[in-house]
Amino acid sequence: MSLLEVKGVSRFFGSLKAVDDVSFTLDEGTILGFIGPNGAGKSTTMRIIATLDVPNEGEVTLDGRNIVERPDQARPLIGYMPDRYGTYDDMTVFEFLDFFARAYRLKGAQRTQRVDSVMDFTGTLPLRNKLTSELSKGMRQRVALGRTLLHDPKLLLLDEPADGLDPRARIELRELLRALAAQGKAVLISSHILTELSEICDTCAIIEQGRLLATGPVQEVLAASGGAAPHVELDLKLLDDSQAVVQACERLLLEQPLVSKVSLSGGPVIHVRLELPPGTPLTAQWSDQACAQLIKLLVAREVPLCSLSAKTLDLEDAFMSVTKGRVQ
Amino acid sequence: MSAQPVPDAFDRFGQSVSERASPMVVKEIRQGLRTRTFWIFFTLLLIACMVGALIAFAASSTGEAGGGAFIAFFSMLSVVQFFVIPFTAYRSMAREQDDETWVLLTLTGMGPRRVIFGKITSFVLQGALYSCAAAPFLLFSYFLNGIGLPTILFAMCFAAAYQVFLVSIAVSIATAAHTKLMRSLLQFAVLAILFQGLMMGIGGGSGLAQFFRRDSVDFDFIFACGCVLFAMLSTAALLFESAAAGLSLTTENYSRGPRIAFLVQIIGGTLLFAASAQVMHSTRVLPFGSALVSAYAVFIGTYIAADLDGLARILEPKRGSVLSPGAYRGFILVTTALLLCNGVLLVMGFTTETREKDLVVMIAAPAFALFYLALPHLVGRVLPRGSTPRHVMVRIVSLAWLLVGSGLPPLIGALVSAPDDEWLNLLNPVVGIANIAQRTDNLSIQLVVIWLAAVTAGLATLGVLRRNDR
Repeated sequence: MSLLEVKGVSRFFGSLKAVDDVSFTLDEGTILGFIGPNGAGKSTTMRIIATLDVPNEGEVTLDGRNIVERPDQARPLIGYMPDRYGTYDDMTVFEFLDFFARAYRLKGAQRTQRVDSVMDFTGTLPLRNKLTSELSKGMRQRVALGRTLLHDPKLLLLDEPADGLDPRARIELRELLRALAAQGKAVLISSHILTELSEICDTCAIIEQGRLLATGPVQEVLAASGGAAPHVELDLKLLDDSQAVVQACERLLLEQPLVSKVSLSGGPVIHVRLELPPGTPLTAQWSDQACAQLIKLLVAREVPLCSLSAKTLDLEDAFMSVTKGRVQ
Repeated sequence: MSAQPVPDAFDRFGQSVSERASPMVVKEIRQGLRTRTFWIFFTLLLIACMVGALIAFAASSTGEAGGGAFIAFFSMLSVVQFFVIPFTAYRSMAREQDDETWVLLTLTGMGPRRVIFGKITSFVLQGALYSCAAAPFLLFSYFLNGIGLPTILFAMCFAAAYQVFLVSIAVSIATAAHTKLMRSLLQFAVLAILFQGLMMGIGGGSGLAQFFRRDSVDFDFIFACGCVLFAMLSTAALLFESAAAGLSLTTENYSRGPRIAFLVQIIGGTLLFAASAQVMHSTRVLPFGSALVSAYAVFIGTYIAADLDGLARILEPKRGSVLSPGAYRGFILVTTALLLCNGVLLVMGFTTETREKDLVVMIAAPAFALFYLALPHLVGRVLPRGSTPRHVMVRIVSLAWLLVGSGLPPLIGALVSAPDDEWLNLLNPVVGIANIAQRTDNLSIQLVVIWLAAVTAGLATLGVLRRNDR
């Protein structure tokens, strides 16, 4: 049984269907990326799971407990971080975490120990006595993440956690989330930064206009994303950009069974599209093997290859494909 | 290597208190003591009191300066207690919602009641800190002669209750607005209310100082003060419970608190009216009490009874309780309380030498209340509501209904040269009652018609609400 089961959840605001018959599951130790444009229903779904809103239809069970009927039983299992981190400006990092630890009914030494361990995990221990208003956005986000971990929840709901963070803070967040998943926590994360999600998520759910368009392991969603067949795109750069060399290379590439399309840029760069045989799952291993095979061939035929860069189909492509590009 | 400092008894006591205190209180005190507002007003209060004390001391050589000094010190403290602190409480609660920290508090399992109670308590405690600073000066006024120690203590207790009342108003207003714009607009309303509250507070304090002669106690005055205290504290409780209910989820038994507070207020009010009739040896209080209890049932009762139809599945085992959510149970509770309280006053009226005219008013008042309580529920469920929630619709209709019921008949009457015609104004809650109190002809028929209309409206509403509750 999955830790989180969302079954046919709908939420209406008057005549507007903010969430329409959404169903998905999330297991312990996995990270699910919740993808969708603004107003797609991501935050409403997250608020329902966080017991902050009640669905008009459907059920949500967390660890076997119906959170719609017994939100009080579900709340201790949930760590929710809204898109605004919700820190108090006039409190120090310790005071902020200590307050929430008290609110979660942690007492005395146990509370101090828990706050210290959370600060240690999130790397905010050196900032213990700093006011949260004096922190950078990345650090404030770490403090907010620390708050969600205080009561050791099984499920983490993170609404746009990477929004507005610099690249370094994003990488650090990714590492923290991986560490949390390794501890067995289920993480539901929504974000617009799809490249970030594809690197950390095991599963994903694509939502648009309140409806869930695709859900499942990332590779399955990529493979099943409608419109384009699973493919890998390569950019080959040649040392010699004379027309004869480029055209010879083009002919050679087109003879290969995996190559479905070759396009020239007019310079030394050739765009190549490799398509997978039907039924073959698109994996990083397949992509690497295909590239190695191609390099071997080009080197054997003495093509003056300078560099090769591969771009596999990622969540961004899947999202655009699944949503038919109707991004708002 | 330095040894860990051993906490002394004072530290241990502080830690023990902090462990037992509500997390909200600890947080708010920590935040409050860090703000510039606190220290600026604390310093200003001390300086103002110091200057006041010097002036009062100088004036004491010419006569009794205690009374004037007390009013001056009390006014200085009032500015902080009745204006600054309640407004800070409003800002704190509004910021909690603006910054979306409110949802995080809710998720901790503290619940809206504990959070709001913590807020109010912490601001009352901050008020106590200010009072501690001003207390030596207030006591100093006793030594300047002209004011008694009981008066000072009584005024301080009264000020504390009044502060609880004002903080509750401010916090509940902050929770009533659900958008940032609305909260910004309401800020002006809060400022206006608190300014008026400040004036009334200073006026009340001055009144107390004037009224009390040194060490003298007037029982009627004490009783009146008790009634005012009850009104303030029970209203604070009602506001607190309503604010908590407004922030609760539909899966929580949000209606229990406000309904209990309503019952406490309406039953307590009835008993106080009955007691005052005994204390003041005047039965004239009874019809006034009946009218007030009826009006209270219409205004506050409509708010209490106007609720969603039905209740969440999780609450169904408690379906039988009139304290559980749902308009059906709310209506039964309010109607029962209205009829019972008026019944008590009426029985008292019959057993004492109450004038017949007053008895007639006491018979008519609950009928008017029932009529104006019931019909909005029916109309609110018939009218197309668009995106307005049903309970809000009922409250809007109730106000509109009262305006139409009291304004339209005299208007029509004016057109036919009979603005206070008894039949035209039969169901008018203002002119109708006045007519019944003044006239004697057709009285029985009028009472029967009013009660018939009220009972019909009441039963019809009960039927519709019961059907919708399933």
